[in-house]
Amino acid sequence: MRIFRNLRQALRGVALNKANTFLMTLGIIVGIGSLTVIVAIGEGTKAKVLDRISSLGFGPDSFSVYAGSGRLFFARSGATTSLSLQDVDDIRALPTVRLVIPRQRKRSRVIYKKEFTATRVYGVTPEWQIARDWDMTDGAFFTDQDMERKRRVIVLGSTPAKKLFGDQDPIGKMVRVGDVFFQVIGLLEEKGLTESGYDPDDRSLIPLTTSISRLTHQTYLHSAKVMALDPSLVEKTMEDVRLILRENHNLSPLADDDFRYITPEGIMQWVTESSQALNRMLVLISTVSLLVGGIVIMNILLVSIRERVREIGIRRCFGARRSDITQQFLFESIFVAILGGILGTAIGLAVAIIFQRFDILPTKITWEPFALAFAFSTVIGLVFGIQPARKAAMLSPEESLR
Amino acid sequence: MSLIELRSIGKTYQSAGLDVEVLKNVSLRIKEGEYVSIIGPSGAGKSTLMTIMGCLGLPSQGIYILDGEEVGQVSDRELSRIRNEKIGFVFQAFHLLPGVTAIDNVMMPLLYSDKVPKDAKQRAQAVLEKVMLGHRLTHTPGQLSGGEQQRVTIARSLINNPKILLADEPTGNLDSKNGVEIMKTFDRLNQEGTTIILITHDQEVALHAQRILTIKDGQIESDQWNENFQKSQAGPARSGVE
Ligand SMILES: Nc1ncnc2c1ncn2[C@@H]1O[C@H](COP(=O)(O)OP(=O)(O)O)[C@@H](O)[C@H]1O
Ligand SMILES: [Mg+2]
Repeated sequence: MRIFRNLRQALRGVALNKANTFLMTLGIIVGIGSLTVIVAIGEGTKAKVLDRISSLGFGPDSFSVYAGSGRLFFARSGATTSLSLQDVDDIRALPTVRLVIPRQRKRSRVIYKKEFTATRVYGVTPEWQIARDWDMTDGAFFTDQDMERKRRVIVLGSTPAKKLFGDQDPIGKMVRVGDVFFQVIGLLEEKGLTESGYDPDDRSLIPLTTSISRLTHQTYLHSAKVMALDPSLVEKTMEDVRLILRENHNLSPLADDDFRYITPEGIMQWVTESSQALNRMLVLISTVSLLVGGIVIMNILLVSIRERVREIGIRRCFGARRSDITQQFLFESIFVAILGGILGTAIGLAVAIIFQRFDILPTKITWEPFALAFAFSTVIGLVFGIQPARKAAMLSPEESLR
Repeated sequence: MSLIELRSIGKTYQSAGLDVEVLKNVSLRIKEGEYVSIIGPSGAGKSTLMTIMGCLGLPSQGIYILDGEEVGQVSDRELSRIRNEKIGFVFQAFHLLPGVTAIDNVMMPLLYSDKVPKDAKQRAQAVLEKVMLGHRLTHTPGQLSGGEQQRVTIARSLINNPKILLADEPTGNLDSKNGVEIMKTFDRLNQEGTTIILITHDQEVALHAQRILTIKDGQIESDQWNENFQKSQAGPARSGVE
């Protein structure tokens, strides 16, 4: 069959014009590879933020107030002395509020004998467990009594527990946080790593009162979680809380809030906004990378076509039809596109996986960029590979041999 | 009936906006089996005449009838078939596919036949042996001398047993010994019935032919019988000029 003969000639051409094949394949690899990696990073970042939200443990009836101005997790000011115990008491007195859980937070080294680990230590009230609805695997959470007496008791998340005690039973053991010894009274149930690699189990909890007197040596809070009586009351409660805090903090009407809210809606909105911005940037970068790849392919094809017009003329002298030439060059382009596509995909995947494995950047692999880049490079190959070949085939043999 | 008939053929090239008239009012008939050489000074239009007779390009004026078909009226696909089946080319500039082995270069025209013969390889090998290149089958043009490349192009022109062989300076790159061998091959092909049109500027080579056309400034200056053409060399269709 004539078409198979042309296919064979195409494969030979690919093998013969190694430098062109290599460069064109490289162009496609660059396009597909970079697109794959970029999209994987974009998707990975989005996934990370989303599962971070779910790990925050918000119900529809709750929100958090964080000390310091700014937005969400991003504090604008370093001043975190804006949220006081008085504020919490005033919020608790609101009629629409069911619970307020004040929190202090300090990243500390926890030591047991020769083992130690750095973990987030939170000073909270016993209601924390109710609010988070987090079960215990062993022991018990601390009580109001522990709070009143500022007892040095600690509840460990599974990550520090494992690091410090291995197979041993931690309950009743004494661990040191900074200079202070605490007795382990409970173990939190393990939640496991989130998809993005955030570890919710890497935490320990002590009574807020103990935290104030022994750990942070100050009464200012890191944040407070507020649960309204009903989800429909959240908005009204947030407004009331704002009024209380602004009055307590003596803020003039023109001053910015010196605290900030974190709500599931707020995070969602932020994710949406930032993922839109991210997406726009990704689209831009991928377009550029594809264009670069495309221009590389285009130039090589245009140069190689000029070289190959003579070959086309020779073949035509000895009986090649126009369609034979078109077929041959079509097959060559397809072959290069497939070769580049496969290699680009493999390299893109490898880079994405390496980023994920070594925690360089979060990535998530999806099929769309492959399809897009594949289609794009094939189209480039076809347009810029076939079109000049067809044009050359349209010449008379005498003209192409000139 | 003539195999080749040119009626008032003209060819004009556009070069730098100027019309260059390369062939002027060329009329010519060649019968099947003739052995014709075309001589003339460089730039006279010999190669141009060959491209027209070989259906590699269309004339600007006039009518060309090849084997009963008017070339100007035939589809490109049909022209491809004619070039493939009826004509063998030997180019002055070789025009071999670079990087491709001698045997594959020789087999290339078979790719574009309706059916590739089963013994394509053996045939290619045989024609290469005919031009004394049996020991260079897998060499690429870059690995061959000019004379060897010339002989590959001759082998390629013969692979499809063409009715007409168009050769542009086939001995130009050969030493005299190889040149003589090639001319023997042409003589023999003509005796077997192939119509041969041989472009040359070598008087001695031209004398192998039965008929000698002289071209000057794009016109036929003379069209003569070769008195020395040996009767023993005569092909089957030997006859006079009309
Ligand atoms: N494509 C072309 N464009 C312009 N002039 C051409 C072209 N091809 C040939 N010529 C001119 O036509 C004349 C005849 O060329 P050619 O047929 O190659 O001569 P010959 O083979 O007899 O030496 C030359 O003057 C050459 O410069
Ligand atoms: Mg010439």
